[in-house]
Amino acid sequence: MVIATTGDADVLLPPVTTVTTGINVSDLIFCRLAELKAGLNTVDDSGYRPVLARSWTHPDSLTIVFHLDPRARWQDGVPVRAADVVYTFGVYRDTVVNSPLAPFLEPIGTVTALDTLTVAFHFTHWYPEQLYDATYQMRILPRHLLDTIPDARLASAPFGRAPVGDGPYRFVRWEAGSAITLAADSGWFLGRPGIGRLVWRVTPDLATAVSELLGGEADAMEVIPAPGQLARVEASRGVRLVAYPSPFYAGIVFNQRRPLLASRDLRRALAMGLDRATIVRSVFGRYADVAVGATSPMQWIYSDSIRQLPYDTAAAARALDRMGWRAAAPGAVRRRNGAPLRFTLLVPTSSQVRQRAAVIAQDEWRRLGVDVRIEPLEFTVMERRTARGDFDAAFESRTIDPSPASLLQWWSPGSAGNIGAYDDPAFQTLTAAAMRQPTRAGAAPLWRRALEQLNADAPAVFLFSPRNEAAFSDRVDDVTIRPDSWLATVTTWRLRPGDAARGR
Amino acid sequence: MSPWRVAGRRFVRNRAAVAGAALVALLVLVAAVGPLCTGDPLAQPDPVRLQDRPPSGAHWLGTDPYSRDVLSRTVSAARVSLGIGVGAALLAVTLGTAVGLAAGVAGRRTDQLLMRGVDVAMALPRIFFLLAVFAVWEQAPPVAVALLIALTGWFQTSRIVRAEVLSLREADFVAAARALGVPEGRIARRHLLPHLAGPIIVSASLDVGNIILLEAGLSYLGLGIRPPTPTWGNMIMDGKDVLFSAPWVALAPGLALILTVVAFNLAGDGLRDALDPKARA
Amino acid sequence: MLGYVARRLGFAVVSIAAVVVLTFLLVHLAPGEPMLGSADRRMVSPEVLARQRALFGLDRPLPVQFVRYAANLARGELGESFVLHRPVAAVIREALPNTLLLGAAALLLAVGLGLAVGVLQAARRHSLTDTLLGGATLALYSMPVFWLGLLLLLVFGEGLHWLPIGGMTDPAVHDLLPPLGRALDVARHLVLPAATLGLVQAAAFARFQRSALLESLGAEFVRAARARGLPERRVLLRHALRTALAPTLTLTGLSVPYFLAGSVLVESIFGWPGLGRVAYDAIFARDYNVIVATALIAGVLVALGNLLADVAVALADPRVRLDR
Repeated sequence: MVIATTGDADVLLPPVTTVTTGINVSDLIFCRLAELKAGLNTVDDSGYRPVLARSWTHPDSLTIVFHLDPRARWQDGVPVRAADVVYTFGVYRDTVVNSPLAPFLEPIGTVTALDTLTVAFHFTHWYPEQLYDATYQMRILPRHLLDTIPDARLASAPFGRAPVGDGPYRFVRWEAGSAITLAADSGWFLGRPGIGRLVWRVTPDLATAVSELLGGEADAMEVIPAPGQLARVEASRGVRLVAYPSPFYAGIVFNQRRPLLASRDLRRALAMGLDRATIVRSVFGRYADVAVGATSPMQWIYSDSIRQLPYDTAAAARALDRMGWRAAAPGAVRRRNGAPLRFTLLVPTSSQVRQRAAVIAQDEWRRLGVDVRIEPLEFTVMERRTARGDFDAAFESRTIDPSPASLLQWWSPGSAGNIGAYDDPAFQTLTAAAMRQPTRAGAAPLWRRALEQLNADAPAVFLFSPRNEAAFSDRVDDVTIRPDSWLATVTTWRLRPGDAARGR
Repeated sequence: MSPWRVAGRRFVRNRAAVAGAALVALLVLVAAVGPLCTGDPLAQPDPVRLQDRPPSGAHWLGTDPYSRDVLSRTVSAARVSLGIGVGAALLAVTLGTAVGLAAGVAGRRTDQLLMRGVDVAMALPRIFFLLAVFAVWEQAPPVAVALLIALTGWFQTSRIVRAEVLSLREADFVAAARALGVPEGRIARRHLLPHLAGPIIVSASLDVGNIILLEAGLSYLGLGIRPPTPTWGNMIMDGKDVLFSAPWVALAPGLALILTVVAFNLAGDGLRDALDPKARA
Repeated sequence: MLGYVARRLGFAVVSIAAVVVLTFLLVHLAPGEPMLGSADRRMVSPEVLARQRALFGLDRPLPVQFVRYAANLARGELGESFVLHRPVAAVIREALPNTLLLGAAALLLAVGLGLAVGVLQAARRHSLTDTLLGGATLALYSMPVFWLGLLLLLVFGEGLHWLPIGGMTDPAVHDLLPPLGRALDVARHLVLPAATLGLVQAAAFARFQRSALLESLGAEFVRAARARGLPERRVLLRHALRTALAPTLTLTGLSVPYFLAGSVLVESIFGWPGLGRVAYDAIFARDYNVIVATALIAGVLVALGNLLADVAVALADPRVRLDR
């Protein structure tokens, strides 16, 4: 199966790889201890299925003990052992390797091998998602192949360009800038993968990549981001779109350090003054949902019925009047004590959709009497400004993972992701309580109230969550997509025997 | 009859050249007054309902994904593209002539110094330099774009001019002027410069086309003049994504671009044929 | 002659050094930072970013960084790519041959087609053929290379399905093919990008050839040959072409910057894994070491091209060799 992708991988080593293609490929070469099931329930043990670990127990509130599957083998024949897990933890946490995932492993104090197939994780405190942190972030590395390489040189070692793993697929070849080929490991201990070969074909230009897909030179694409290209695929035969929730949501974040935007009432009025449904429809058509809050349909805390601020320009206008912001004439900029109601919105030039949405939002706010200036900035420049807190409002896109703890990453005071300096005790209390619930059923209502609190406080206007549309040729059957990782279930997919000349 | 009259006659007799010149004049006219007759190129009257509309009575060339009128933008872009093209060409030619002339009339050491500088500068890969500068300089104004393109493109002109000056220096009329005691500077200005005018004009007019294409390439990559200010290059970039659903968005600026470059090339060819007595086609 | 070439080479070296210094200063002084955290992933914490910067020595003062870089360069070390976590030399080693292949194919097309068309036009001057060809070359010469690329892709790739749409090889089958098959696979993928890059330059060559040929056809010795009763074609091919050789070499040498610029655009559109794309990606990701290295390579290529042009001019006009 040929996968069309617009970016080449950087390096195929899980602790270090940061580019999407690199992650997709290395995810199939290296395994986790356990995987999330389709429902992405991160809290309950029942939400996981065994992979490298055949089973696990919780002997006390601070420990998880994993029993490794004795059938698991590295692709050079050596069995997967507890020492590999210990080694892997060391690599991920080593500051010299500087893995971006290291901060997420902080609650894990130590990892020790109890015997060759048993490994114990000791946590610093109890919380319901211990199993998530123990399994989701790390992919186990082969100690016997890597421990002779000093950690500082791991990223640039040749292993990263020709990795040996324990997953359903084996590395075959990597033509830099061109293609990466993997072959199925027919002896994989959890069953032979359905598709014999996977080839990632790198085409930087999106339109050309879609052309390859439509022309039969590629069979699949993870996501087609541009509405114009989506229309092309829809109009064609032989290629179908499969929608799945994306791990993104985007919103206009207000900087509460600025006196103007520190006012909760003002922010609420701004949020109520935007017709989010229309914005989403005109920029994306059908390919995105209005964000119900700081979440996307991928997470289990998501619900259609979360309470949000209504779209009510009359109420917004009234609220602004009450605050003293008056317009001299309908459609004019509101003023209070002579000062105009004005702020600047930063938008990254890398995102066409955010630029378009910003323009529409600006237009709607202008009708409400709010003067918004749009400042397009290059991505890294914008990042620096928001990190410094040097902005009024910023059109941000957030990436989340299946765990609701990502809410804390972006909205907790003191967290680097909380660029707008949002700080509300009610939100703190709710999230802290949610983090103490041992089951999903118990935690769900608390998370829901936390999301509703966020909506009510309006630290941002949550605008949209794009729907990822993957494209597949008719040759690919039995496709299921786990939203956080589109190839997670690829071993169950099938390829219909097609063109014999393609040699698959 | 003065050589200029002769050249003029030759030019007028060349139909292609006349067509080119007429087209250039038309384009300049459109660029100058066109934006006054068409709508606002930045206006987004209805970003929701008017995106990607095909050509109609209200919008002769349709609208783009931001609901902007394609005709207004294409005409507006003419100002930017022509302005940068002509401006940068003039600047580059002036710089090249100045340096070439100086090198040609100066003493050996100055000449060596200048020409070595030119050689070093010529090795600079222009596109990398421009890419790097404009990748970083986001809000570069058109003047800056023209300036940088000119600053990286005058070297060939200086070599040509220097070569011409060197060969002219040995000519009889120059020797005569020198014998009469005319100062070097005056010789350069009054006697050499008119003879250089021919190659310079030809070089400049053919340069315009290349510069317009270079600027279009830069803005197609998302560098240089960025949206919302329209240039033909960034309009094609905008239209690339909707090439199949709304082809007019990329087609209009693309055709305008090609037409403009063709016009300048035709006129430039005509000028070269008219001014250069050797090329008797 | 040898002395002349040696002198020119000397200048070339100075030029390349200047290119390296300028580029280094440019990228390091520019605002923005290397994309050490990827936009794809979830947010990378500032501590991780700070550590990355320190690991690459980016937190040291600029002169220190430059001295380190220059010292490494003298040893032949081009540094490491921040984004790809591998030596820059390896990246270049993989990408450069692909660009050279593309450039060579495009050049061959440009010179071959350009010469042929130019000769044909000169032979049939002022006829309908001449006018039509002249119109075609003018249109091609005035077309932006990205426009031509999109057009060719649409027509031959998508419309007619005659040629593959992108990439350098067909990844699904390439390694299963015998060597000849593999060469053919690359050749098939080479057609469209090389055509895009080469056609515009072919038009330039054709235009130049036509006028150069017509000019030399008016020269004395040619008239004399005609007077001797030699057939027109022979006159054209033997005498006129010979005088056009040196200027063709000059044009070729001077077209290197054009091919470099075009390769950035063409490689992007067709997904050709060459140096142009590496440079483009590096510039946007602020991958400093890769940027400087590609500028260096580009500088070398341009300098070589200029050298070729100068040598050709010197061959034709001996006065130039005295460099005065």
